[in-house]
Amino acid sequence: MLEFLIQNNIICHAVEAMLFASIACSILGVIITQMGISSIGFTMTHAAFAGASIGIFFGGGGTAAAILASLLIAALLGPLSEKARMSTDTILGILFGMMMAIAIFFVSYMQYLGTSVNASALLFGNVISLYREEIYALAVISFLAIVFVAVFSKEITAIIFNRKIAEAAGIRVRPIYYALLFMIAISVSLSLNIIGGLLLYVWLVTPAAIAYQFCTTVRGLFLSAPVIAGSVSVAGAWIGLQYSLPVGPLTAVSFSALFLVAVLISPKRRVPKGA
Amino acid sequence: MTAGAIDLAGVSTAYEGSDLPVIRGISFSIAAGEFVVVGGPNGAGKTTLLETINGMLPITSGRATVCGLDVAAHGTEVRKRVGYVIQNFAFDPLAPFTVGNVVIMGRYGLLGYGRQPGEEDHRAAEEAMHLLGIEDLVDRPIGKLSGGQQQKVLIAQNLAKKPDILLLDEPFSNLDLFARAFVGEILTGIADAGCTVVIVSHAFDALPGHDIRILAMNEGRISMDTHCRGDEVEERIRRLPGAVHA
Repeated sequence: MLEFLIQNNIICHAVEAMLFASIACSILGVIITQMGISSIGFTMTHAAFAGASIGIFFGGGGTAAAILASLLIAALLGPLSEKARMSTDTILGILFGMMMAIAIFFVSYMQYLGTSVNASALLFGNVISLYREEIYALAVISFLAIVFVAVFSKEITAIIFNRKIAEAAGIRVRPIYYALLFMIAISVSLSLNIIGGLLLYVWLVTPAAIAYQFCTTVRGLFLSAPVIAGSVSVAGAWIGLQYSLPVGPLTAVSFSALFLVAVLISPKRRVPKGA
Repeated sequence: MTAGAIDLAGVSTAYEGSDLPVIRGISFSIAAGEFVVVGGPNGAGKTTLLETINGMLPITSGRATVCGLDVAAHGTEVRKRVGYVIQNFAFDPLAPFTVGNVVIMGRYGLLGYGRQPGEEDHRAAEEAMHLLGIEDLVDRPIGKLSGGQQQKVLIAQNLAKKPDILLLDEPFSNLDLFARAFVGEILTGIADAGCTVVIVSHAFDALPGHDIRILAMNEGRISMDTHCRGDEVEERIRRLPGAVHA
């Protein structure tokens, strides 16, 4: 898609993959960080990780199994937190532990059996491993994330503000919440191969956290988080591949460094002189 | 039964996993434009009653009809016509919401998916802010306002909806003496205009002086249903067995 800008095919594919993954993850990340449920991010990423390891173990596709596992967790999450009458955070913690254990079990068992499995690719991603179809799928999900936020902007804004007040206003909160979970499930599953199960959480949370330091409106958050995520991810992919550095960790560290700078210079924390 | 009223017939509500209902077999009718104060000790089921009326809590037995709609079957539709000012709220001081953003949210449920607020919605929000005297705060972040100002913003949000019924849970709790009287007058005015007002409150001094209805609750049941002047409500409720002494 971006071949007219970048002649080197490997770098071009890596940049495209990072760009689309970062747009999808950062837009959805704004919602989960503002709703105070960012732990959904690491539970979903590890569900995808567990699904991929099961898929590889049974000789099927890692990505398809990752999507299935994440969708299953998305479907379980809502009813489970309602039935168990426990906080979403506690349920997420339980599911996270379970998913991590499943992933480690299958990866370890495959290594014990001598099956060729690249565990580090699942954990840390491999930005040049994607097929063209997977990049197209990422482009579609990033487009869907934009459409989702555009169509349901007022409902999402109200839910972010206060879920109970949104419900009392006559907004159907549950369908939006479930749609959000399914969008996250598909986004993280498709991004798993390039960013990895351990680092994907950074893409979901940190761009939104950086944007939050400067934005005073929800619209501002939705516009600036993908710009920040896309810029840092594309720069990370480019620099990493040019200098043979690991792209995922390099970009994740860049995000974290940028977050620290953002906190230090945030106008929201500035105390007026004479106050 | 007048259209736009509340009609509860043997309604019980229990939280999931609990054997005991919080409100038990409650029956009453409230006509359109009535001004009702719900009183009673902590844990009597007052907030549960409000959230049962607007369909946010499931009804385990009995039948509730609000604005002519069965609450159990049409909860979301009921909430589009019923305003509800919640009791406990706390907003992040850095939250990216201005007062204007929050007030217009009262209109969101009426619009449906995919539609953005139009001129009429913005006008309704402006009128509500003007009524509450908070129009100067429109661009201020809600998290940086005082508790009393935030309370007024939430009331304005619900008035922007132009509800048939307005439920308020301790709406005077964060307000100073003057603001209580001011908000009390506004609520009296909207009841006079035909909106049914149901208030859970312990701030009896803010109630209107004219005839109002008291529903006193105790242990999930209605222990008194009577009419009196606003300045007599406190004395009436204090005389009840097991009554509030807050």
